Amino acid sequence: MSTAMNFGAKSFQPRPPDKGSFPLDHFGECKRFQEKFMKCLRDNHFENTLCRNESKEYLQCRMERRLMAQEPLEKLGFGDLIGGKSEARDKS
Amino acid sequence: MGGSWLTGWRHVVLCGWRWSYAGSVTRTGEGVEPFLRLWSRGTGSAERGLRRLGTWGRRRMTQDFTSQPPRRTKRTNPFTRAQEEDWRRRNKTVLTYVTAAAVGMLGASYAAVPLYRLYCQTTGLGGSAVAGHASDQIETMVPVKDRIIKVTFNADVHASLQWNFRPQQTEIYVVPGETALAFYKAKNPTDKPVIGISTYNVVPFEAGQYFNKIQCFCFEEQRLNPQEEVDMPVFFYIDPEFAEDPRMLNVDLITLSYTFFEAKEGHKLPVPGYN
Repeated sequence: MSTAMNFGAKSFQPRPPDKGSFPLDHFGECKRFQEKFMKCLRDNHFENTLCRNESKEYLQCRMERRLMAQEPLEKLGFGDLIGGKSEARDKS
Repeated sequence: MGGSWLTGWRHVVLCGWRWSYAGSVTRTGEGVEPFLRLWSRGTGSAERGLRRLGTWGRRRMTQDFTSQPPRRTKRTNPFTRAQEEDWRRRNKTVLTYVTAAAVGMLGASYAAVPLYRLYCQTTGLGGSAVAGHASDQIETMVPVKDRIIKVTFNADVHASLQWNFRPQQTEIYVVPGETALAFYKAKNPTDKPVIGISTYNVVPFEAGQYFNKIQCFCFEEQRLNPQEEVDMPVFFYIDPEFAEDPRMLNVDLITLSYTFFEAKEGHKLPVPGYN
């Protein structure tokens, strides 16, 4: 990051998240899905593309438990996973 | 006759003002008259002034008013006088309108700041000039499969906050245009509930504009009960336009860094938005 002396340079402007903040999962209701996701990441050398199904499931869990605002999955970028679930399975 | 004298006085007052301004020496009628005669050859306004002051001089001085022949120009015509009055009235109206417009512009420039803020709050644009770029874009964006970017995670805690805050994965490989999930973990080892608030930073600086967070845990107070441990997810994506930016050709590594502060009364965090 730029030093404090660098007055002329642009400083980083943090932007608020598009959909706001996740409420905290105090009771660990979705912890199982989270552990599944982390395991998938570790197995696949931390490649996100191969674990998108698990991340979709985690977000679905959150939405069910009212820990996240309900959103159609297309709006979260999972459009390709809804219709062709088998497609994702084939990829991974 | 009284009426005409009244108007005469009004014109004299005007002219008296004009002459003292121009000459910066107030002269009596006698001294002024030859001066006026000189001037009368020049501008037309002076001619008018001459006529006015001529009346005044005739009124005040006991001089013979025959020394100055009354000018029977068409300006003594009541029609032209009325026309001049009409012009003067119209000039005054125009001047009033122009002044009102100038004052209005000044007021509008002051009012623009809170008005724009109100507009942004109602339309939810929040500072970005493009409306609705987020949700529509996520639906339609196509992942750029040939650009693999490594995103590393960093977690920091302010000295006064006693949380154990760390990322659950050191790195993750994503492609632009694909949404990704990452986790941080925070534990409150103390016996008291603690409220923290976080901010983030993205390095390199130019890549930060392509880093879009859909949902995270930043900028809102998060409360941890004693001995509680929670997972904090970050749901983000890298804009597909990242792949088309020539400055980003050599960028393969993006570091996302979160810092937690303790939320105290009166403590002001650099939270984005209109505060």
